[in-house]
Amino acid sequence: MVEIIATAESVEQAKSLIAAGVDILYIGEKRFGLRLPASFSYEEIKEITDFAHKEQKQVRIAVNAIMHNEHLQDVVPYLQFLQEIGVDAVVVGDPGVVHLMKKNDIAIPFVYDAQTLVTNSTQINFWAKRGATAAVLARELTKPELEEIAEKSNVPVEILVYGATCIHQSKRPLVKNYFGFVGAEEDTGKDRGLFISEPKNKDTHYSIYEDEHGTHIFATNDVNLMTVLGELKEMGIAQWKLDGIFVKGETFVKIAELFVKAKEALTENRWTDALRDELQEQLVQLHPQERGLDKGFYVKNPTDIQ
Amino acid sequence: MRTITKKPEVLAPAGTLEKLKVAIHYGADAVYIGGNAYGLRSRAGNFTFDEMREGVRFANERGAKVYVAANMVAHEGDTKGAGDYFRTLRDIGIHAVIVSDPALIEICATEAPGLPIHLSTQASATNYETLNFWKEEGLERVVLAREVSMEEIREMKRNTDIEIETFIHGAMCISYSGRCVLSNHMSHRDANRGGCSQSCRWKYDLFEMDLPGNRKSLLGGDPEEDFSMSAVDMSMIRHIPDLVEAGVDSLKIEGRMKSIHYVSTVASVYRQAIDAYCADPDNYEFNQAWEDELWKVAQRELATGFYYGIPDENQQLFGKKRKIPAYTFIGQVLDYDPETEIATIEQRNNFGVGDEIEFYGPDYTHLNQTIEEMWDEEGNPIDRAPHPLMIVKMRVKHPVKRMDMMRKRK
Repeated sequence: MVEIIATAESVEQAKSLIAAGVDILYIGEKRFGLRLPASFSYEEIKEITDFAHKEQKQVRIAVNAIMHNEHLQDVVPYLQFLQEIGVDAVVVGDPGVVHLMKKNDIAIPFVYDAQTLVTNSTQINFWAKRGATAAVLARELTKPELEEIAEKSNVPVEILVYGATCIHQSKRPLVKNYFGFVGAEEDTGKDRGLFISEPKNKDTHYSIYEDEHGTHIFATNDVNLMTVLGELKEMGIAQWKLDGIFVKGETFVKIAELFVKAKEALTENRWTDALRDELQEQLVQLHPQERGLDKGFYVKNPTDIQ
Repeated sequence: MRTITKKPEVLAPAGTLEKLKVAIHYGADAVYIGGNAYGLRSRAGNFTFDEMREGVRFANERGAKVYVAANMVAHEGDTKGAGDYFRTLRDIGIHAVIVSDPALIEICATEAPGLPIHLSTQASATNYETLNFWKEEGLERVVLAREVSMEEIREMKRNTDIEIETFIHGAMCISYSGRCVLSNHMSHRDANRGGCSQSCRWKYDLFEMDLPGNRKSLLGGDPEEDFSMSAVDMSMIRHIPDLVEAGVDSLKIEGRMKSIHYVSTVASVYRQAIDAYCADPDNYEFNQAWEDELWKVAQRELATGFYYGIPDENQQLFGKKRKIPAYTFIGQVLDYDPETEIATIEQRNNFGVGDEIEFYGPDYTHLNQTIEEMWDEEGNPIDRAPHPLMIVKMRVKHPVKRMDMMRKRK
């Protein structure tokens, strides 16, 4: 069964996403979660979890930061809180968190998400043996590789079907350092909407921002796999994530609705080329104009990447 | 008098068998090398099994160790044959493998038991519970992420007893290692499988954009400076006491692609500093000559990375660059005849009569002289030695030894 996972930027949007048919909400709080549209308080996380459960839906919490010593003391009570309110899973990328959960008898299912590093099924199965119930795939995987991973992995794998994808995380404040060098003071946060472009490819526009985890850079185009959802379903890749970090409010909810429609049509064997093209066209209309869309590494040839 | 008996290991890079021997000869306690597979330096010059055997024999005779990096983040199919590979390394007597992908860790642990595993910096280990996780998995050592501070290392040592290795010298990833695929996206080269095109060192535009094509560049400065992420290199030579007292087990020098000039110089400087500190920590004084020596082979400005805080703009390569390195490697001593005071040199860069040169050796000796007379292999007098690897005989003013190096100021 295909499940649609979506980020949320507010309690209100979370509720709208559930109403739109999203199966799993992916939220968190900024200290322990990476690159989220918003940071939620404990109360808000509880409110969203209660609401989702009432609607028979799930909530996954991002605990996927690269943890330093200073995080360790506080992450344990946070995980205990998450267990208490009954979140459905935590999303973890740091083996230290896996170790802490075991040590403290925190029995929340965890989804393994080490971003760029999750590129093969043997690795995924390593984490499955250590308790992972699913794994988030790196975005640098081609279709033939995805097919093989899906076939050989012992737990479900999650793929980004829509949204921005991070391609670089530095602990350094790279943009602040630049402005510091040229003697300027500028806001370098997410909402500032900064981009960089390559020297030899001036049309590119990689989003870049800073927060307490450092500097984050995103691929020049956002991912959109709408037109190949049928293939994904066939491969058995059934956890589809939509990331709304750069797509606000109602627009993101409408985009989620398109993917829900696609999922339902696929499930009920109503998926046609015409419907696919219609949903794709609506999606392109909704997507923020200044951001591009493409299928990323899905359409690349494995041997093209050296 | 207090002395320190448990010295940290000096771990040097060795891109080739020659570099392995030079590094150990110049004071490295251990070297790390690459094999023909599963590594991250496809262009670094990698070892065949026969070369590994010879390297291990050379190292064992001198009480040194050889580690093999197999730190790629594998894609489907890449791990084929890895079990055989690790078993062969173990049987050759390799002292440990450096691995980052849990897939390769598992294959190594199950198929080549007895071969110690070190977690690569590529896995970005940044806290002591991560270290405890890997200790329970049976790993011997963790190479820390470069984002860890000295204070964090001290705290780690209080909370785990797995061995800790940290980078102390050389070029650095600007990202958390492993968490950067700029190269994959910008050049179709996989940063985590040895293809990194160092996109972080490129020059970028930085801009705002509300609508496509409507860009407002934010580049500034006079002259205008492009946005770049390029970092200066690291050197911890001034902070050996902190590293030793924090209890770091292994001090790692970056650079499997670097020359024997670089490896010999850097290994020997850190050897000197660590030995000096451990022999008499309470009366230890930093020797400026060590840092001057490192500058002879430095390729960029030097700084301390994350050890003492989050790096600011002064730890990034902006603006006009200092002209470095200051010295050129010109030859290696193959032989010396004390009777005639003539040294046999293998040429590495053009030199000739009248040049001011410096010889240096593993015991940190430095001898300066002007070249007055030299001959080719047949004994004919020559003025210059222009051909790569040509053999030259030269009268020297002080005794030199085989494997001493010869350099001159640029």
